[in-house]
Amino acid sequence: SSLDVPFPSSREANIALRSLSPDREPRKGGISKELTVSGSTRWSADEARILRVSVDSFLDHLLLVLETMEMFGSPVSQ
Amino acid sequence: MTNAAMTIVIGFEGSANKIGVGIIRNGEVLSNPRRTYITPPGQGFMPSDTARHHRAVILSILKEALEQAGLKPADIDCVAYTKGPGMGAPLVTVAIVARTVAQLWGKPLLGVNHCIGHIEMGRLITKANNPTVLYVSGGNTQVIAYSERRYRIFGETIDIAVGNCLDRFARVIKISNDPSPGYNIEQMAKKGSHYVELPYTVKGMDVSFSGILSYLEDAADKLLSSGQCTAEDLCFSLQETVFSMLVEITERAMAHCGSQEVLIVGGVGCNLRLQEMMGVMCKERGAKLFATDERFCIDNGAMIAQAGWEMFRSGQVTALEDSWITQRYRTDEVEVTWRD
Repeated sequence: SSLDVPFPSSREANIALRSLSPDREPRKGGISKELTVSGSTRWSADEARILRVSVDSFLDHLLLVLETMEMFGSPVSQ
Repeated sequence: MTNAAMTIVIGFEGSANKIGVGIIRNGEVLSNPRRTYITPPGQGFMPSDTARHHRAVILSILKEALEQAGLKPADIDCVAYTKGPGMGAPLVTVAIVARTVAQLWGKPLLGVNHCIGHIEMGRLITKANNPTVLYVSGGNTQVIAYSERRYRIFGETIDIAVGNCLDRFARVIKISNDPSPGYNIEQMAKKGSHYVELPYTVKGMDVSFSGILSYLEDAADKLLSSGQCTAEDLCFSLQETVFSMLVEITERAMAHCGSQEVLIVGGVGCNLRLQEMMGVMCKERGAKLFATDERFCIDNGAMIAQAGWEMFRSGQVTALEDSWITQRYRTDEVEVTWRD
């Protein structure tokens, strides 16, 4: 299954991707997810329960990224 | 070109139940706000609840840190955060914010080892030259000495941290966790006088605390209800026992290294009885004791900033792809590039 998340710009989508992708899934087996730069995410899981926990957690972290971006300004140009 | 001496570093810490953001410029702490997730008596803090706590306050603490320092995001030169060790969910929450602001502000990121954060803050505040370090907290118990680009672990707990032993004993007799169980044990211990014999478990250079804890978990109710001792006596006896053990392994490491300085860091390092006992041993050896107060003993953001600053000025940086957090991260895994 896949989830599409729209962003105002690809710059912000990239920031979110790079903030959310480094950490490994806590549970070793049974779950994997793939984040792509177009802002969509693809999950695959052995069990629905594991999938739900992982999705919940991801969405919560995504919200945190969005709130951080909102509070601390748009990305500065290099 | 950045003048390394005037580098301003922001540090994020949230590996256990404290969440803090601190800003340091040239060895000066500009701000260091912190909040603690406190559970009801008899309960410890669980990873997901702790993460939820940190998540709810981290952005306002970040704002506070900038405001108290009188700085704007553009003034920050690099962003440090705790890579590990610690609890997974809280570590992730904090790392996500650090990664996001690092990208938003276009600044380099530094993944810091939590233990090294404590050590570098202790060195900064106390100006200890090359001490034997006793790092004691709810999550860690290690005796550390610097040698050839590593903080080497000379002795450690083979099971639980001393602070964990204290915290879980506090739950047994339902002591308040506000401001921290260890602080309340310390206050009660001052009113204790009858020494209750407890297991004393030093194992060479190392220590063990899980046996003492199990013993108390079994025996405390009986000892208290039979009137053999008070809760204050148990607090007193536990402190005397575990602190003696820590003094013993610290002394052993000092003898090995020929060291004349001791630095105590970590939350348990706030304990004045521990400092007193260590002071007695140091005096006997003609050595100096260094300790910091609760602002810096207890987990805080500025200590992460300080360690991050040391890493940054010696040329280290953490790439975003490598910025994953880790629950296990040995103190001696880090190459201490900022010391000779």
